[in-house]
Amino acid sequence: MAIAPNRPPFGPTALEDAWAFCEWRATEDVLAAPGLQTVLHAAGVRVAERNVLLVGASGSGKSTLTAALWARGHLVWGDDLVRFAAEDLHFGPFERSFKLDRKALSYLSLDAALGERAIPGTVLASDTLYVSPAAFRRRWEAPVGAAEVVVRLDPSRRRGVARLEPTSEGAAAVEVSQALLGHALTESGRARPELAVRVLEGLRTAVAFEAWGADPAALADAVEAVA
Amino acid sequence: MARTDVALRRVGSEWVLFDSRSDRAHVLNLTAAVVWTYCDGAHDPDTMAAAIAEATGSTAPEAIRSDIEAVIRRFALEGLLQ
Repeated sequence: MAIAPNRPPFGPTALEDAWAFCEWRATEDVLAAPGLQTVLHAAGVRVAERNVLLVGASGSGKSTLTAALWARGHLVWGDDLVRFAAEDLHFGPFERSFKLDRKALSYLSLDAALGERAIPGTVLASDTLYVSPAAFRRRWEAPVGAAEVVVRLDPSRRRGVARLEPTSEGAAAVEVSQALLGHALTESGRARPELAVRVLEGLRTAVAFEAWGADPAALADAVEAVA
Repeated sequence: MARTDVALRRVGSEWVLFDSRSDRAHVLNLTAAVVWTYCDGAHDPDTMAAAIAEATGSTAPEAIRSDIEAVIRRFALEGLLQ
């Protein structure tokens, strides 16, 4: 069962730990299962009728920015994982809880609304809270569709005034193609070439921006402005 | 001549060459993308320059020949030609 801090390795466990473990395991199984739709390590939000992909390494602020936009009523594909259908080049929701740290919840003033119903993470992510969007809003999933805007996030750019600056669409698309996960990868961990090319094709009309700034609320303003 | 296993795809206002052999992607501008499409073994830099000049309305194909040669050298350096 889930590993938890300050507890013996075997013995009774809390329902929350069991739930967190089951979700983690279910995600791993989905990523590993062949024949399913491809999953990307990215976040996705529908803002003003336009679908926005947020890409960046872990810790770049995808979940926090997604939560900030979701709290404003925008529909989402996911805060960390997004489905990609190679057949029709559409992106779509991956049904999984948001993973937010306490600092993000507090900063976004969501702790009062969400914190009470969040489930603490395990020792592997002790500062993480799992927040199910379905627990708060019946309709939270953005419909499947093309990605029209790509926003690149990078921890090194989490400083200064929050803003989005136009950037290379090609480079952004390549970054998205490199975010393929699970069965989309070869044994060496590289994206399968045919799927990587399909991702590029799925972004043929997308515009791309680079996000700057540390204030997620102000960044959400910037995303709303360009979408 | 362009390797046949390298895919060219348009993304926004740019183009991306995806090299599945090395798992590398290269972002191209329009000029480089056009040059890539002419790397078919039937066009040398002179005929590429003439064709591009005609397509773009340029009256000086010799002026763009050096750009074409630079792009081809880069393609070769990246192992994209055969």
